[in-house]
Amino acid sequence: MESKTRPAVIGLVALWLVVFGVLPILLLLGASVLTQDPAHFVRLPLSLDAYRQLLEPAYLQVMLRSLKLALITVALCLLVGYPFAWFTARLPAGWKTTILVLLMIPFWTNSLVRTYAIRTLLGTQGLLNKALLALGVIDAPLQLIYTDLAVVLGLFYLMLPFMILPLYANLDKFDYRLVEAGRDLGAGFARIFVKIVWPLSLPGVFAGCILVFVPTMGLFYVATLLGGARQLLVGNLIQQQFLNARNWPAGSATSVVLILLMALMLAAYRLLLRRAATARGPQ
Amino acid sequence: MNIGKTLFGAALLLLTASPAMAAEKVYVYNWTEYIPQAVIDDFTKETGIEVVYTTYDSNETMYAKVKLAQQEGYDVVVPSTYFVSKMSREGLLQGLDHSQLPNARGLDAKMLDKPFDRGNVYSVPFMWGSTGIGVNAKEIDPATVTSWKDLWNPAYKGKVLLQDDLREVFHMALKLQGRSSNTTDPKEIEAAYGLLKELMPNVLLFNSDSPRLPYLAGEVSIGMIWNGEAWMAAEENEDIRYIYPKEGANLWVDSFVIPKSARNVKNGHAFINYMLKAEVAAQCVAQNGYATTVLAALPLLDEKVRTSPTIFPPPETVAAGEFQLDVGDALATYQRYWELLRAGN
Repeated sequence: MESKTRPAVIGLVALWLVVFGVLPILLLLGASVLTQDPAHFVRLPLSLDAYRQLLEPAYLQVMLRSLKLALITVALCLLVGYPFAWFTARLPAGWKTTILVLLMIPFWTNSLVRTYAIRTLLGTQGLLNKALLALGVIDAPLQLIYTDLAVVLGLFYLMLPFMILPLYANLDKFDYRLVEAGRDLGAGFARIFVKIVWPLSLPGVFAGCILVFVPTMGLFYVATLLGGARQLLVGNLIQQQFLNARNWPAGSATSVVLILLMALMLAAYRLLLRRAATARGPQ
Repeated sequence: MNIGKTLFGAALLLLTASPAMAAEKVYVYNWTEYIPQAVIDDFTKETGIEVVYTTYDSNETMYAKVKLAQQEGYDVVVPSTYFVSKMSREGLLQGLDHSQLPNARGLDAKMLDKPFDRGNVYSVPFMWGSTGIGVNAKEIDPATVTSWKDLWNPAYKGKVLLQDDLREVFHMALKLQGRSSNTTDPKEIEAAYGLLKELMPNVLLFNSDSPRLPYLAGEVSIGMIWNGEAWMAAEENEDIRYIYPKEGANLWVDSFVIPKSARNVKNGHAFINYMLKAEVAAQCVAQNGYATTVLAALPLLDEKVRTSPTIFPPPETVAAGEFQLDVGDALATYQRYWELLRAGN
C-alpha cells in the first residue's frame, strides 16, 4: 500500500511542478529569444534584441528603482520585525500563539483589498489627514498618497509578516542560556547581540529578507494604487510590455532577468547556510 | 459489425443533436460598467438566450484574449475605434449580416463608415465619447481652462491626473504641436515626448481604471478624464466640470463586432440588435454618460441628459477632435518614449 501511494504522490507533485512551473518558464525563455511580431506575438528568427533592449538606460533605471524600493522595504521590515520576533519568542507559550494568530489574521483578506484600505487612511481626505486637521496639527491636508513614502509604507505593511515568521521560527529555538553565559563572562548588551544572537539568527534573517525581497519586486499594484503609477517598477514594465506594447520577447526577457536575480539570491542563501553550518560544526 | 455501425450512427446523432438540445447561449465580452445588469436580464427574458457575460478594462486585454481564443471564442466583443480595423485586418472578425440587425438602421451617420471600418462591414457603433479636461470648480475657475496647454501651468505642480494610456497622453502633446494624434513619424513622436517631459513635474498620478474617483476624493482638481466619467462624477459632486480643449479632444467609438471564432453567430446578432433598441440604448446613456449612436433613443432621454454638452458635444467640437487610428509599427516608438517618460525623474 505504502509503496504504491508514495510514487503516485511524488508523481502527481512532479507533474504539477512540470505543468505549472517548468513549462511556463521554458515558454518564457523561448519567447524571450524570438522576434516581436505585431500580429502573432512572436516569430522567428531567434534574436537577443529583447535582452539588448534591457541594457538601455531607461530600463536600467526602472530596474534600479525597483531594487531600491525593495531594499528599503527589506531594511524596514528587518528593523521592526527583528525586535518583534525576539520579544514574541521570549513570551509565555499562550501569548506566543495569540500574537502569531493576530499577525496572521490580516492574511485572510486579499492584499489588494488591504492596499485599498491604506488608500483610505492616507488619502487627501483620508482618516489620517482628517484627524490631524481636527487636532489642529496642520492647516491643509498633507500630500501622503501618490508619493514614494506611501509605496514604501504599503509594501512594508504587506510584507512585514513574511519577515517576522522565519525570524520567529529561528529565534524561538535560541538557547537563552547563551546570553546568560555571555553576561557571566562580562559582555555588555551590544556585545552579546553582535557576537552571539545575531550570528545564530542569520539563517532566519536571510530567509526573511528573501521572502520579503522576492515578492516586493513584483507587487506592481502597490506602486500603481499608492504611488499613482507615476514611475514604473519592473512589475509594471512586464505588464505593459505584454499587454500594451504587445512586445512578448521584451516582456519575457524582463521576467527571465527577474527570475535569474531571484535564483542568484537563493543560491547565495544556500551558500551562506552551508558556511554557517560548517563554521559551527567541528569546533 | 452491424452493432458497431448502429452505435456509430447513434453517436453521430447525439453529436449533431447536442447543440440544439443545449440551452441557447451567447458569450458576450464587454467593457466593465458598460451595460446595466437589468438590460441583460431583460434580453434573456425576451429571447430565452442566456448571456454569459465577462468584462475587460482595456482594449489590449480584450485583443489578447480574442487572439488567443481561436476556437470556442466569444460571440460579441466591443472593441474601441481602431481596434476594429486592427482585428479585421488580422482576420479575427467575421462580416456582420445586416439583415439580422434591423435596429441598426437609422444610427447616427456621424459615427458610420469611419476609416477603421468603411461601409461597416464588420462593426456597428454603439457608444462614443471623448477624452478632455476635468476640473473641480471649487479649486480652479473652469473659465481659465480652455486648452491642453493649461495642464502645463506651473501653478499645478504635482496636481495633475493623466490617463494611464500612451495614445491618449501623446494625443495632447501632438495636438498642441499642431500634429495629428495618429502620426507615425518618429520625429514628431520624439518632439511630443519632449513636450510631455516638461509636463511630468505637474503629474500626480496616472489612472485609467476610474479616473473620476480621485476627483471625487479631492485628490486632484485638474487633469484628463473621459466625458462619461466626468458625467458620473458630476452626478455626485456638481463642482466637477468637463472641458473640451480647443485643440481638440480625443474621440473614440465602441463598436459591436462578432469574432471569427464565435460559436453562436445568430445569437450574437440577436444580442447586438437588442442593444440597439431605442429604450435599451437610452437606459445605457442614462447610466454611463456616453453618447449613443441610436438616434431614436434621444427623445426618450431626460431633458438634463439630452442637453448635456458633456455627453452630446456640439458638432464643431466633434469636428475639432480626432479619432484614434491604428499606428502599426509606430506603436513601438510610442511605447519606447512612454517608458522613457516614466522611467526618468
